[in-house]
Amino acid sequence: MRRFAGVGLLLLAVGVSPVAAHHGWSSYDSTKELTLTGTIKEAGYEHPHGHVRLEVPGKVWSVVLAPPTRMEHRGLPASKLRVGARATVVGYPHRSTEDEMRAERITIDGATVELR
Amino acid sequence: MTQAGTLGWLAWLETTAAATAMRQSLWLYPIVEILHIIGFVVLVGSAAMFDLRLLGRSRQLPVTGMERHLLPWARASVLLIVPTGGLMFVAHATEFAGNPAFRLKLILLVAAALNAAAFHLRPFRQVAEWDHGARAPLAARFAAGVSLMLWTGVIACGRLLAYF
Repeated sequence: MRRFAGVGLLLLAVGVSPVAAHHGWSSYDSTKELTLTGTIKEAGYEHPHGHVRLEVPGKVWSVVLAPPTRMEHRGLPASKLRVGARATVVGYPHRSTEDEMRAERITIDGATVELR
Repeated sequence: MTQAGTLGWLAWLETTAAATAMRQSLWLYPIVEILHIIGFVVLVGSAAMFDLRLLGRSRQLPVTGMERHLLPWARASVLLIVPTGGLMFVAHATEFAGNPAFRLKLILLVAAALNAAAFHLRPFRQVAEWDHGARAPLAARFAAGVSLMLWTGVIACGRLLAYF
């Protein structure tokens, strides 16, 4: 059991600051729907969820999207999620991370894609 | 290792080709997830069926026979589980390392492995005395109960780490 305790301490000692994994919708406040229009500063077409950094007047939001496979299937390939493009997202703010939101849908080049 | 050193190492893992492929290739991530699930279904399923036998179900089946059938599958499943788990880890190493559900999962995994080892080193040595038709000794039943709880905890943490 000493070995067990040692491993436990070791794991707890790996004290890196967690970037919340924020996968569940429950981490976002669905009572506060946001509609943001801005410019994509950074785009990640990545697993488990795609994301963009969206610059709106006075703020840069970190917007969590859907799994790449789903976005591809629904007509939002990586090529459309490009830096510099204008995008509108509708979604909900994270309950504790101030500049993060999860998008219910995204509109790029006039085409809206549902993300949930 | 210092905090900065650990963070640097974890960040480096995320830059490896395997990590990049996991994040950016369209189907690799889900395929790896599926293989991970198939692996732990076999592992935890084997452990659970063996544990239930130790707890008194299906006493007509010899414990040694069940062990000979289940253990090789359980061992082989680890070959599927560990590499796929490693691939998912490196894809988001810093995020996982700081995730409380992931840390607890690793602790429970180590505990489950030690529990299984202790069972094989102690009560299982005398299995001939209770191989079939008999009640397993308390130490064996205790290990079985602990095993069921630990594996349930591992699966719960594995699922919940996406929510922390």
